[in-house]
Amino acid sequence: MSAATPTPSSGAGRLRRLVWALVRPVYEARWTALPPLTGAAMLAMLVGAVVVAPREAIEGEVQRIFYIHVPSAIAAYLAFFVVFVASIVVLLRSDLRFDAVARAAATVGVLFTALTLATGAIWGKPIWGTWWAWDARLTSTLVLLLIYSGYLLARSLSDDTDVRAARYAAVFAIIGFVDIPIINMSVRWWRTLHPDPIVTTLPGNQALPDSMLLVLMLGMVAVTLLTLWLLSLRAETERIGVEAAEMRARVDRIEAGGVRRGGEA
Amino acid sequence: MDYLEFLFAGFAVFWAGLFVYLLWLQARLRTVQREMETLKERLAEREAEERSGSDAPPGT
Repeated sequence: MSAATPTPSSGAGRLRRLVWALVRPVYEARWTALPPLTGAAMLAMLVGAVVVAPREAIEGEVQRIFYIHVPSAIAAYLAFFVVFVASIVVLLRSDLRFDAVARAAATVGVLFTALTLATGAIWGKPIWGTWWAWDARLTSTLVLLLIYSGYLLARSLSDDTDVRAARYAAVFAIIGFVDIPIINMSVRWWRTLHPDPIVTTLPGNQALPDSMLLVLMLGMVAVTLLTLWLLSLRAETERIGVEAAEMRARVDRIEAGGVRRGGEA
Repeated sequence: MDYLEFLFAGFAVFWAGLFVYLLWLQARLRTVQREMETLKERLAEREAEERSGSDAPPGT
C-alpha cells in the first residue's frame, strides 16, 4: 500500500470520521427532533418579530419585515453553500447521491432567494418609494435566483441517473456560487440604495441595539433549522425519485427481454 | 407612518411561500412513493413470470 492511500488511520480517514461525528446527530434527528424544533423556533421568531422587538423610530412598524427578510437571505446562502459542497463531491466522486442533495438544496435556496426578493420589494415600496431598483445588491440577488433556477431547469430536462449531466450541472452550480460573495460585497463596492451591513460590523460599532439583535439571531436559528428540515425532506424525495428511475429502467429491461423472447418464439 | 398593510403583506408572503412549498413537496413525495410502489409490484410480477418461464422444461 502506498503512503498516499487513505487508510482508516490516515488524515483523510480522521477528517471523514470527524465530519460524520458532527453531521450524524443532525442527520439522525431529521425526522424526530427537527420538525417540532423547527415549528417551535418559527413560532418564537414570529412572536419575537411582531411583539418582542421594539418599534423602529424612523421607519416605524414596517421595519419588522427585517426579521424575516435577513434570515431568508441567510437561509438562501446556507442552501447554496450546500449545493456548492455537494457539487464539488459530484465532480470528485461522480456520486449521484450528492447530485440529489445538490438539487434538493438548490430548490430550497431558490425558494428563500425568492422570499428575500419579495419581502425586500414589499419593504422597499413604503421606505424607498419603489418596489424595485436596478441597484447592485438587488440585481446581483436576482442574478443568483436566475442562475440556480437555470440549474434546476437544466437538471430537470436531463435524466436523474445521468452522471455526465450531473457533472455538467455541478460545474454550473460551482461557478454560480461566485455570485454570493459579489452580493455580499456589492453594498461596499458600489453606491447602492440598499443599506450597508448593520449586523456584521466590528464589535463596539454595531448599529443594531441588543433587543433587535436578539430577535434577529432567533430568526437566524429558526430559518437554519427550517432550511435543514426542508433540505432533508427534499433530499429524501430526490433519493426516492432516483431509486424509482433505476427501478423503472430495470422493469423496462425485463419487459423488453420478455417481448424479444416472445417474438423469437 | 407605520405602513401596517405592508408589514402584513410581507409576513403573509413569507408564510404563504413556505406553506405552498411544503404542500408542493408533500404532493411530490406522495407521487414518487406511489410510483415506487407501482414499480415494485410490476417488478415482482415480471420476476415471477421470468422464474416460471425458466422453470418450464425446454421446448415447451
